[in-house]
Amino acid sequence: MKKIFLLPLLLFLTGCNITVLDPKSDTASEQAFLIEFSFWIMMFVVVTVFILFTYFVIKYRYTETRKHDLPQDVKGNIKLEITWITIPVLLLIVLAVPTLAITYDQSPQWTEESDQSGVVIDVVGKQFNWTFTHANGTEEMDKLLIPEGESIVLNLKSADVIHSFWVPQLGGKVDVIPGKELTYEINNPKKGTYQGKCAEYCGLGHTDMTFEVKVVSKQAYEQYLQK
Amino acid sequence: MKLSMFGSEYSIPTDIVAAWVSVIVIGLVATYFVVKKRKLYVIWDYMKTTNHRKIGILYLLFGILYFFRAGIDALLIRTQLAIPNNDFWVFQGEKYNELFTTHGTLMIFFVAMPLLLGLMNIAVPLQIGARDLAFPFLNALGFWLFFAGSVFFNLAFFIDMTPEVGWTGYAPLSRAAFTPGAGTEFYVFGLQVSGLGTIFTALNLIVTIVRHRAPGMLYTRMPLFAWASLITSFLILIAFTVLAIALYLLMFDRLFGTGFFSGDEGDPVFWQHLFWIFGHPEVYILALPAFGIFSDIISTFSKKRVFGYGTMVASIGLIGFLGFMVWVHHMFTVGLGPVVNTFFAITTMAIAVPTGIKVFNWLFTMRGGVIHFTTPMLFALGFIPSFVIGGVTGVMLSLSAADFQFHDTHFVVAHFHYVIIASTILGVFAGLYYWYPKITGYILDEKLGKWHFWTFLIGYHVTFFPMHITGLEGMPRRVYTYSETDGIFLLNALSTVGAFLMGISMLFVIWNVYKTHKMKVKVSHDPWNGRTLEWTVPSPAPVHTFEPMPVIQSIDAYWYAKLAGHVLPTTTDVRIKPLERDSIQPFCIAMSLLIVSTGLTFRWYWLAITGGVALFAMLVLRSFTDEREDFYGKGDEHA
Repeated sequence: MKKIFLLPLLLFLTGCNITVLDPKSDTASEQAFLIEFSFWIMMFVVVTVFILFTYFVIKYRYTETRKHDLPQDVKGNIKLEITWITIPVLLLIVLAVPTLAITYDQSPQWTEESDQSGVVIDVVGKQFNWTFTHANGTEEMDKLLIPEGESIVLNLKSADVIHSFWVPQLGGKVDVIPGKELTYEINNPKKGTYQGKCAEYCGLGHTDMTFEVKVVSKQAYEQYLQK
Repeated sequence: MKLSMFGSEYSIPTDIVAAWVSVIVIGLVATYFVVKKRKLYVIWDYMKTTNHRKIGILYLLFGILYFFRAGIDALLIRTQLAIPNNDFWVFQGEKYNELFTTHGTLMIFFVAMPLLLGLMNIAVPLQIGARDLAFPFLNALGFWLFFAGSVFFNLAFFIDMTPEVGWTGYAPLSRAAFTPGAGTEFYVFGLQVSGLGTIFTALNLIVTIVRHRAPGMLYTRMPLFAWASLITSFLILIAFTVLAIALYLLMFDRLFGTGFFSGDEGDPVFWQHLFWIFGHPEVYILALPAFGIFSDIISTFSKKRVFGYGTMVASIGLIGFLGFMVWVHHMFTVGLGPVVNTFFAITTMAIAVPTGIKVFNWLFTMRGGVIHFTTPMLFALGFIPSFVIGGVTGVMLSLSAADFQFHDTHFVVAHFHYVIIASTILGVFAGLYYWYPKITGYILDEKLGKWHFWTFLIGYHVTFFPMHITGLEGMPRRVYTYSETDGIFLLNALSTVGAFLMGISMLFVIWNVYKTHKMKVKVSHDPWNGRTLEWTVPSPAPVHTFEPMPVIQSIDAYWYAKLAGHVLPTTTDVRIKPLERDSIQPFCIAMSLLIVSTGLTFRWYWLAITGGVALFAMLVLRSFTDEREDFYGKGDEHA
């Protein structure tokens, strides 16, 4: 049992190699912060339970000497029970605060209600590819070029079934739904090439519905649009 | 595989051929043994039975059968994912999609549900001093409807029409425009018919627990498994009704071209709301009975009453209630807006509180006790840390902004396997080992049971722990492969090794059952030194129980009676007991619904109408029969 709870610790200590925990935009950084923050609070819970569990199981196990022991008839203990109602509530409040802030900031919204200031790109998901259309009409399939440091406003639509747009290092998922248009913002992406994929099962070619995202300098982006 | 018949060529996928061959071989061997041992009458007996223990056995048998089937699906999935760019057998693309659809649907609806309903059927009446479920006929009907639905769903595979929409059947993918074949119909009708049976059984359990408790068995003295079953039954009643509505609308969309879930006239997100209003309570439908089982087992084998009985009951109720207010946490990414996302993040976090109470109360039940490491207790002990790991990842998932990353990745796969296996599967194993004497009269071998426990537990952690990391590495769920550059090869290989270890652990179960039934060592009525009423009746539980009826004066009444060295007081002044009468009607009613489903699936409307007429005729016939008349006399005499 003890190994099991050491394992995640070790793995998370080397966490900087894990894609989602190696964010390359402000959006993804906030999400990674939330994941790591909640992880440590939850580790506190796990460790507490594991210690109590191990202690009780070893201390109160049946042995030959305790063969005739009759445990005391304990009905409960209201003080103890209040303790393990209060502490979790406090921990959850601590967790809820950053969650609220980031969720309010990041939740995808209807396009008509959203703020469209930034580099606007239309995204259309279709079985089984992605089409990206830039402000001046430049269109490319399965390859998205965006400028670094900007606020990227993605307007997402589906031509058939539900897909989900996901570039792990730049931000979380947004579903791409037929009949509606959602807007998702990725803030301040850093230069590099990232893998994007469809995260909502959409049929036969779901696995292969991947795309590439290149974050380039502003000049390079301008040149790309001129091409 | 190519086949020439009647001058034309047919091409049959090899996995289908393998399935046919194995089913025919197993079928022939089984038939041979049944005929040779002259046991045909046993099958006929079980087809007509309305006894709660026998129906429970049927639920368990089919649940275990499908557990092996869906387990093989899981092994095929893990084999395909073992190495990058794998090309295992036929399981890429379509066949892989069919695999995870079948695995999920079977495990939830045709494994977890019947196993829990089976245990409730057997143990709840015995625990509360009921002589049977309130409506024995309805109980049999509930089982046979489950049976009809599950057989229908499984048939699809043998004619190569397996659904491929995922167990969640998201629209519009599940609409006829995108999955035109008959496959999705098998999903719709399979779940619809079996779901109806589940609703009936839930009703039956509610009435049984409310009306048929032994004298003095107050709600404040009921064993926690009975409490959990009561609350679960209410959840089933509401949640499965919503599922029935969702499936009904989807049926109309598919068969008759309505547009409830299309992007033009209706809304595909509407399906997700309905599905998860069912789907999230379903998680608690699977978990709560297991919580009940663990409470009873931990108390029995610590030789102590459960710690904080009142809060334990209250937290089951609270979990059940909150379970209806969290469904949108499956839909954080569909763009319902920041307010909705925040609200459901908070309600989801709130569920952690009553669940946490239960965990600590279990721990403190053990504190000061004398803990016996029997097989059922080992499963209960394995449950606590495993479930806590699954629980804390649940809290992490509830943080909506973080969920934008977690959603639909292997992190989620890890999370829900952690919670469902820890609660439901370990709970069912614990319950089976615990109540096996009550079910069969034999006790399972402890040594083999421990082998089963350790191999299963280790296999389970080795399989699912690495998935937390593959998910964070960016591996979405429901993909059939990944590339070397994703850096997730070793973790996936580890998962596959773990999965096979779980597979091996199940061989110990087969061996154990075989050995136990070969040795035929009868056990007494109370092999575990139990605390509750089921241990006062003989093993296996006979058809007529509680004659005379015990009177209950405290919680764990049997235990305190044993401590005081006397027997439970009894009375003959009891409510009229439910009357069991063998009948083949429940089986026939279920079969007529199977015919209706087949007719609708293949648009053979004449067949559907025939089945419908037969069904209606049998319902009319049933309405005019009252098997209790010749026993209790007519009319109001006993009202």
